[in-house]
Amino acid sequence: MSLSSNSVKLKYLKLGYQYFVNNILSFLLITIMASITLPVLRNDHTNIIDTISHPLDHLNLLQLLTFTFLIIFFSTLYLMSKPRSIYLVDFACYKPPVELQVPFSTFMEHSKINLKDNPKAVEFQMRIIERAGLGEETSLPPAIHLIPPNPTMEASRLEAELVIFSAMDSLFRNTGLKPREIDILIVNCSLFSPTPSLSAMIVNKYKLRSNIRSFNLSGMGCSAGLISIDLARDLLQTHPNSNAVVISTEIITPNYYQGKERAMLLPNCLFRMGGAAILLSNKRRDRGRAKYRLVHVVRTHLGGDDKAYRCVYEEQDPQGKTGISLSKDLMAIAAGALKSNITTLGPLVLPASEQLLFLFSLIGRKIFNLKWKPYIPDFKQAFEHFCIHAGGRAVIDELQKNLQLSAEHVEASRMTLHRFGNTSSSSLWYELSYIEAKGRMKKGDRVWQIAFGSGFKCNSAVWICNSTVKSTTNGAWNDCIQRYPVHIPEIVKL
Amino acid sequence: MTIESSSSSSTLEPLIYNVKLSSVGPGEMTRPDTIHEPTSIDLAMKLHYLKGVYYFKSHEAFASITIVQIKEAMFRWLCQFYVICGRFRRFSEDSGRPYLKCNDCGARLMEAECAKTIEEWLELLSDDDSLEKKLIFGQPIGPQIEYSPNVYLQCGGISLGLSWAHVLGDVHLASFFINTWGKIMAGHKPGSPPVLAQYTKEETPPGQKRTLNEPLSIKWVDPVGDQWVPSLTTKMESFSFHISATQLGRLQSKVSGSKKSDPVPPFESLCAIIWQCVAKFKTGTESNVVTIVKHDSCKKNKKFDNENQVISIVKTKCSVVESDIEELATLVMKGDIHEHEKLKNWVESEKGALDVIVYGVNLTFVSFEQAAFYELELKGQNPVHASYWVDGIGDGGAVFVLPTSKDDGKGRFVTITLPEKELIKVKHELKENVLQASE
Repeated sequence: MSLSSNSVKLKYLKLGYQYFVNNILSFLLITIMASITLPVLRNDHTNIIDTISHPLDHLNLLQLLTFTFLIIFFSTLYLMSKPRSIYLVDFACYKPPVELQVPFSTFMEHSKINLKDNPKAVEFQMRIIERAGLGEETSLPPAIHLIPPNPTMEASRLEAELVIFSAMDSLFRNTGLKPREIDILIVNCSLFSPTPSLSAMIVNKYKLRSNIRSFNLSGMGCSAGLISIDLARDLLQTHPNSNAVVISTEIITPNYYQGKERAMLLPNCLFRMGGAAILLSNKRRDRGRAKYRLVHVVRTHLGGDDKAYRCVYEEQDPQGKTGISLSKDLMAIAAGALKSNITTLGPLVLPASEQLLFLFSLIGRKIFNLKWKPYIPDFKQAFEHFCIHAGGRAVIDELQKNLQLSAEHVEASRMTLHRFGNTSSSSLWYELSYIEAKGRMKKGDRVWQIAFGSGFKCNSAVWICNSTVKSTTNGAWNDCIQRYPVHIPEIVKL
Repeated sequence: MTIESSSSSSTLEPLIYNVKLSSVGPGEMTRPDTIHEPTSIDLAMKLHYLKGVYYFKSHEAFASITIVQIKEAMFRWLCQFYVICGRFRRFSEDSGRPYLKCNDCGARLMEAECAKTIEEWLELLSDDDSLEKKLIFGQPIGPQIEYSPNVYLQCGGISLGLSWAHVLGDVHLASFFINTWGKIMAGHKPGSPPVLAQYTKEETPPGQKRTLNEPLSIKWVDPVGDQWVPSLTTKMESFSFHISATQLGRLQSKVSGSKKSDPVPPFESLCAIIWQCVAKFKTGTESNVVTIVKHDSCKKNKKFDNENQVISIVKTKCSVVESDIEELATLVMKGDIHEHEKLKNWVESEKGALDVIVYGVNLTFVSFEQAAFYELELKGQNPVHASYWVDGIGDGGAVFVLPTSKDDGKGRFVTITLPEKELIKVKHELKENVLQASE
């Protein structure tokens, strides 16, 4: 009884402290104003006007003009040097057709036939599927549905066209954008990089302008989506009155591992088809209709450490088959990368109260050597919504634990993993789409998108909702959102 | 994966090429833990497989059909038939009685191209029946029943092949299944799933012992475990032929003899004639018993399953060869030893764990006459020919009587499956004496 009342008292104390520190400027301003106004009010009114206008009588025209000019000059300088606001007008996620869905039973049966000489590998895949947190409606490309899978280059291009063009058509419909209006095009697809590039494929299909600034990022892993956003932001800072289309996807067809090494079979069980198209703009007229404004992008690269560099590694197995090998230290490295990223992000987004507490805790531990637990800042104070890359159940569990998030905060990530699987760089957009479809996105809400990827990289993006998003009928979640959230058992019975 | 091998014709280039294998399943997720329990009659049929091929004449409407459209339609179609998309498991208690877990695993689909046109193919078929097997890709259930599809579909542009595990249902269900696909391709919405009879355990009232009469229509085979293929040693061959309406009329009058006012129906006439023909080449009293399998036309409800099959035995004491054809026909028409209850009781007494065959125990005459094969419509076209038979037949042999599209449906298409040695003689006999004489 006393313990709970103590913790309640502590909670109110903390709330009071947060309210005070976060609004300290307001408190100070009120105090100063009060200390000036109250004595003045005690005196006579007419004296105030005399006291204020007295110095001005001594100014001549030149001084007045210089003064005015300086004010105008400094305010113009300030406005010009302010970084341009980057707006996310809208985005569209690819919704795979029903024929490409892979129920558990079909996946296991095909696996059994394709790997008939390796019952242990099949057994391993079954155990992964039982625990992975995926649902029965995730999708694989057509070439992988065949027995045995037939990953030709033509099939890879077909998948790329299917995913990318579908997402782009949705984006054009949602925003009313005309293909010839696109100024900047950035495509990120880690594992499929043909010549001509995927961005060239898009320019060709939609007959984009010949002076388009197109970029194709490959090999940058699951966090490449936010790298593309960062690049788009830098370009939009340099080029006024422009827009940028960012395509984030991962083409599964060429990367389906057909060998028997366990570490390399894991991606087969988790990676699924998906893609997203995003429209960013710095144009004035898009300010009113844009959904979000980009606030921060923080990138952290741990590639300097050998273990981190090798933890997601594409290589050939002893039989010569190529696949992506995931190391057992992945979770530990991800936790380290997260810590590094939030160390940079924290000061940018956390309210003053949390930063002060963190500072005190740091001083106490490092300088005074007090045996305190390291204080984990409460990021729930800084954000309303969290989009954690749906890399796998373990990643989401780890982050939920480290950041002390509730089940509702990680709901978007878990449900995206269930419905679409790990769609690599586009998973953040499916998660954002989920939050919108649920009608939870209100004006002023802050969103934190966090992605991990090979390298090892941890990238964050912070958005603020520009106008309350009405849940639409044409998103990727439109026909199934009413079923969600679902309960995902620890181990699914196959 | 290779296509079933059959006696090969010596063509230099492969007849079937560009083969692709995949799975198609229901477009909507089935509720978890949905199961279907086959009835005792279903389980008696588990070692048999219905095979069917539909042929369409080439038409410009077919040029616009792509495999993507076909697959997309199949996913909508299979929402209605989610039961057949499941896989068999065994209950851990109750001596391992099999049941279907509706886990959306799907049917196996094979796409292939053929080097011949429909006309060339049908011509080739008339010489070599075994070629038809190439148009069907189907493997029996086993060795692991949890991972074996029940239905295989083969799509080759304008022929559609089906391999259907008989345990799921009879030919009318299979035919309804395919006809529904035709409707879905035309843009109709999937209907509600067909109501399939489920196993209900019947308790014998205390004090009453259920009388068990061994049915004559089943034969025990060596235990098959989870590989649902009967181990049969005799090599069986098939021979098919059309009978035109006129030929059939003449055969009927020959059989009806004195009762010209009340002629024997086509199926029974064919049964009598072929029975006598086959009996000439069978030794011993094996030929005195035949099994007749028909569809119960009285049960006009929408229930399609093995329960609607009427299996009856016809026995004769005297020699078939010397009997009067009229008498044989009368016996066949009467067909008064019904096996349904006996089969059901027998299977239930074994708690569903028996391995038996039904087709081919005795010479089996199967009527597919009422099946709606030609109601299948694809882009407004009906098939020009449909062929069905059953695999896994015992050495008693079987005769399948199917409707045709020619002669306004008054003709018949007959397929006879017998041990190789017998078939050659029967084929000769039929061609010389029976079919010739009726022209």
